[in-house]
Amino acid sequence: MPVLTIDDRRIEVEQGATILDAAARLGIRIPTLCHRQGLEPWASCMVCVVSVRGPDGNSRLVPSCASRAEEGMIVETDTEDVRRARRLAVELLLSDHLGDCIAPCQQACPARMDIPRMIRSIRSGDFTAAVETVREAIPLPGVLGRICSAPCEKACRRGRYDSPLSILLLKRFVADADLASASPYAPPAAPSLGRKVAVVGSGPAGLSAAYYLLKAGAAVAVFDGNDLPGGMLRYGVPEDRLPRDVLAAETDVIRRMGCDFRMRLRLGSDLSLDELRADYDAVFLALGETVPSAGIPDGLETDEHGIRVDRKTFQTGIDGVFAGGDCVRPIRMAVHSVAQGRTAAFSIVNYLAGGCPAGRHTPFSTHIGRLLEGEIDNFLLEGDPRERVLPAGGASAGLSRDEAVSESARCLHCDCRRQDDCRLRSLAEETGAKGRLYRYSLGEGVPERRVFRQDASHPDVIYEPGKCIACGICVRIAEKALERFGLAFVGRGFDVQVRGALDRSMRDALEKTAGECADACPTGAIVLRSPVPAPRHRDSSER
Amino acid sequence: MDMGMTGENIDVTAVERIVAETGRTQDALVPLLQAVQEEYGYLPREALEHIAKITGIPPAAITGVATFYDEFRHKPIGRHVISVCHGTACHVKGAPVLSESLAGYLKIPEGEDTDPSGLFTIRKVGCLGCCSLAPVAQIDDVIYGHLTPEKLPSVLQDFLAQADAISVQRSGDVIPQGRAGEVRICLDSCCVARGTERVHQALLRAISETGARVVVKRVGCVIVCNETPLLEVLVPGEAPYLYARVRPEDVKAIILRHFRPTGVRRVIGSAVSRTLDAILTDEAWEPVTRYSITARDPQVAAVLDPQKHIATEDYGCADPTDLQEYVAAGGFTAFENSVTHSQPSEVIEEIMASGLRGRGGAGFPTGRKWAGVAAAASGVKYVVCNGDEGDPGAFMDRMLLESFPYRVIEGMAIAAFTVGARRSYIYIRSEYPFAVKRVREALERCRSAGFLGDNIFGSGMCLDISVMKGAGAFVCGEETALLASIEGRRSTPRVRPPYPSESGLWGRPTLVNNVETLAVVPWILRNGAAAFRRLGTPGSSGTKVFALAGKTVRGGLIEVPMGITVDKIVNDIGGGIAGGRVFKAVLIGGPSGGCLPAGLADTVIDYDALSEAGAIMGSGGLVVLDDSDCMVDIARYFLEFTQNQSCGKCTFCRIGTRQMLDILTRLCSGEGRSGDLEKLEDLARMVSAGSLCGLGKTAPTPVLSTLRYFRGEYEAHLEGRCPAGRCKALVTYSITDDCIGCTRCAQHCPADAIEMKPYEKHEIDAARCIRCGTCLSVCAFNAVKVE
Repeated sequence: MPVLTIDDRRIEVEQGATILDAAARLGIRIPTLCHRQGLEPWASCMVCVVSVRGPDGNSRLVPSCASRAEEGMIVETDTEDVRRARRLAVELLLSDHLGDCIAPCQQACPARMDIPRMIRSIRSGDFTAAVETVREAIPLPGVLGRICSAPCEKACRRGRYDSPLSILLLKRFVADADLASASPYAPPAAPSLGRKVAVVGSGPAGLSAAYYLLKAGAAVAVFDGNDLPGGMLRYGVPEDRLPRDVLAAETDVIRRMGCDFRMRLRLGSDLSLDELRADYDAVFLALGETVPSAGIPDGLETDEHGIRVDRKTFQTGIDGVFAGGDCVRPIRMAVHSVAQGRTAAFSIVNYLAGGCPAGRHTPFSTHIGRLLEGEIDNFLLEGDPRERVLPAGGASAGLSRDEAVSESARCLHCDCRRQDDCRLRSLAEETGAKGRLYRYSLGEGVPERRVFRQDASHPDVIYEPGKCIACGICVRIAEKALERFGLAFVGRGFDVQVRGALDRSMRDALEKTAGECADACPTGAIVLRSPVPAPRHRDSSER
Repeated sequence: MDMGMTGENIDVTAVERIVAETGRTQDALVPLLQAVQEEYGYLPREALEHIAKITGIPPAAITGVATFYDEFRHKPIGRHVISVCHGTACHVKGAPVLSESLAGYLKIPEGEDTDPSGLFTIRKVGCLGCCSLAPVAQIDDVIYGHLTPEKLPSVLQDFLAQADAISVQRSGDVIPQGRAGEVRICLDSCCVARGTERVHQALLRAISETGARVVVKRVGCVIVCNETPLLEVLVPGEAPYLYARVRPEDVKAIILRHFRPTGVRRVIGSAVSRTLDAILTDEAWEPVTRYSITARDPQVAAVLDPQKHIATEDYGCADPTDLQEYVAAGGFTAFENSVTHSQPSEVIEEIMASGLRGRGGAGFPTGRKWAGVAAAASGVKYVVCNGDEGDPGAFMDRMLLESFPYRVIEGMAIAAFTVGARRSYIYIRSEYPFAVKRVREALERCRSAGFLGDNIFGSGMCLDISVMKGAGAFVCGEETALLASIEGRRSTPRVRPPYPSESGLWGRPTLVNNVETLAVVPWILRNGAAAFRRLGTPGSSGTKVFALAGKTVRGGLIEVPMGITVDKIVNDIGGGIAGGRVFKAVLIGGPSGGCLPAGLADTVIDYDALSEAGAIMGSGGLVVLDDSDCMVDIARYFLEFTQNQSCGKCTFCRIGTRQMLDILTRLCSGEGRSGDLEKLEDLARMVSAGSLCGLGKTAPTPVLSTLRYFRGEYEAHLEGRCPAGRCKALVTYSITDDCIGCTRCAQHCPADAIEMKPYEKHEIDAARCIRCGTCLSVCAFNAVKVE
């Protein structure tokens, strides 16, 4: 039985065990993509490389999944060379991996709302799940469902075919249905943090921050010089665009969550920043658009736009004081202010917990970008071909329930079905890989990337060859299960693809093992059709 | 080849016959597919379905294998196939421009390989093994050499005229076995005017001198009047051979080539066959030079020859398939002595003592490998001869297999005796149909003579050897991939260990040796390890066969003692650089090897010395470059080859080589970006360190070694300059004041980039110019300038 050393620790393993097995025995985690317990090792992805020092003192990189543990071997799993090789392997795989981790609509949304998920909930009739998803990112959906300029719709892929999904109206439908229900949705509150936060200003940024701070368990008081909360939403947006009862209903949700609204108190004349800092553990300034330096409390640094803040954490130069919305940089787009309020709340919660504010981390994502000629046709496989549903009662009435469900069926499902548990994505994160380091550009007429295709023939799974990293797990699963046709590697070299044997569709190729293949696929290449989505109890764009 | 069939309705009864003849297990899959393709011209889906149905071979295996190898087609093929050689020698002599011009001339749509009328299919092939005729293309069975874009129309015309002529005659004109052969000569007026009558006289003389059983027929006009004098040779049982532009002095050699002389004349015949090779590669044949498919490069003989022939012993005088002659010259004595008088351990000792190292490239000590397999505890073992020589620009193994099949067989037999194998395979790449045929013939004779079979030499030893024909995949040269291919699987390499010596074919201990390695074994045993050791250097004993190609005066196969300097090879054997140009570098080891700059020409041929200099011994490609060759272009060429031949299994090779190629392509087209060289170097090092098999590990070597010695050229490309004037996008053609307005360039320009203006200075339209160099080559006044 060979005895070897891994990262300076000795281990004895049975004859024939691999280095990967031996490392697992020691609790040393080595990342893999093409490896699966129960299948013969294949050694294609190469992210499991480790360094093996030979008798001559030179080290070489070997794939640990397929390399036999041998007597006296000296293995290192975390050297600079190993890390570089793993990162490069991931970067190379990413350079040839065609897919959007998150959909273009969500990518375009300043609040990164998980739009496709909301749409799928509507489609399945689960409006509670829909409002939960919406409120993960947008605490004022009824408001924004009316006044948002909807950058998401401009990015919607469906718009390249006929017209984009009616995302704005769908969101409004979800919010209205919820507010009209007996018990409108409020997020479950986290255990109390025992900390108090003062929010100055009750516009979209302030309300948003208050909502997410409350949700995280902070005690929140909102100060505003006006009679009623809403800021510019109340005093800047015409009433015919935003009926005030909608605004009131959504501020009521925040009030019910425990928010202490202190109206008719103006910073400067009625309150001072120093007092607030003394009374509260943190302060969030959402003062609305300010003429530079006018209305900004003394002691805060400013720049040409307004209060100077750290762009990631929204922290000002004063400890414990944060700022967001138009007082930082006037954008006059409510959804931006809402997004900043939420990010600031996240950062404040971190500050309260550890004293050190951390900005939100933008997870690694790949993007298809502009579509090639004809690609849109392949996306359409997943969408109802009918044209956009227009509300029968006119734009001011919004979509009815049936109209919303019917419109939601037009969604093309551009987002990746494995975005939460894609092993390639998490390895990109782990290795610090850069997604766009290696791009192709081979002359004119040669596409710089794979062409988007999807095989939707199978009742249970969808196959997107663009996302395939040729790990061969599905090929081996089908082979082992003696599928009648199975999957085959087709072609060779850079152009190698996994396809149904003898040109069969996925339906015929995977008669028995579709579910197993989808489960084992390290990316979103073979993936179960989206079931009714379960509520996602975490910030959808945070990891 | 039946062209009337479409994908929808093929007759699958042929498939049943093929399966019955070939076998129904997975290891018969490659031969099955080869036979199906032979039948239909491609692999119709229905045929594949039928194979799956009647053999039980899993459909996924069939699809995987059928799409892995270059040889297999999935679309109907044109009536004639033009294989444009993209071997190294052809590349440096203009194959890329040739391919491009050909596709343009035939109006083949982008992304397709067959012209709209279905007449011609163009293929790029690795190396046709005719490097001294570069650039070459093979149309069906006819090889055309020294091609240029402006010659293409006449070549195609010539081919069609000839093909038509033959197709008219073909059905009735194959003479049955046993009857006398026939030589046809046209004596129409145009032919007589071009000297056919003298050829006719020479023919009659040659027949009476050699005693060949040949009837001379005068035939009518053969249409290709510009190619006369023309001889058509009909050998009983074979398709006709056509020789163009025959001179009276060639005739005897042609007769000897096809008709075995009798009695004492045999000796003369063998001697003359080399003369014929020389004639066939004579560059003076203009404008169209057509060669029979048997035209191959001759051995190079210099006046003061520093060569030493072991693998190629008796070259030029032995009849390759004559077993008696081989035996008379001492053949099979080494085998017999081993079997009847030695223990396997003694043979291993002798091989170890000889210092023989694997000639496939890596140089692993052969004796140690043999000892490993011999020691493995298994009742079933195999010996595999790796003849999947795939380096573009190398054809040593082909020559050895074609010219010395018995020597290779004897080496294998000794190896099989030593390690205890009863079954052996010679894997020969598909591009070498002649080698396959000849080795099969040789094996058959060995069986009849009792050198193979049961109870060999009465010793009880049993051995059979079969030929496995490859299907076009360079990666099969990697031993684990090669074994996968024999087993009928996609030939993707796997991690070693276990090495094949422990777990090879079907999991059994398997000895895998290169052709040349096995070919020198009988010599070592006959002459003793010491004699072998006396040649070469302490670390690299014996000799090495190289395919010398590129810019030297003479090119072809050479066998040199190890330890000889590169300079001696280039200048003494190769005759120096042709055309008065300057020696720049040699490339050793093909796409896995590296370059040695002229300044290091005193480096000796030795495994360790070469690897220290950043090159490798490799399997024996040796391409000489002059100052008109661009090192970036060369690196790009080699990488394009390996990238294309990557099996696609591991990430570093599959995508990494592609990314490297992308950068090199950018550099060669003047679109390099800052940071590209660092990125290229970094990728090259990582691909080399991280790839799964030898192909990926060595693919970056040409890049790394050219970066090492010619970094300045890379930097120049980054600035948009190609110092050698080779990278098309970085050079411009213009016409100088020396132009007298003869219009020749305008007439020959394939891109209509030069307007015809008699007696005026011509101009090149840079937007239309495809930089093919035709104007430069046709201008008689040196008025075309390249910058």
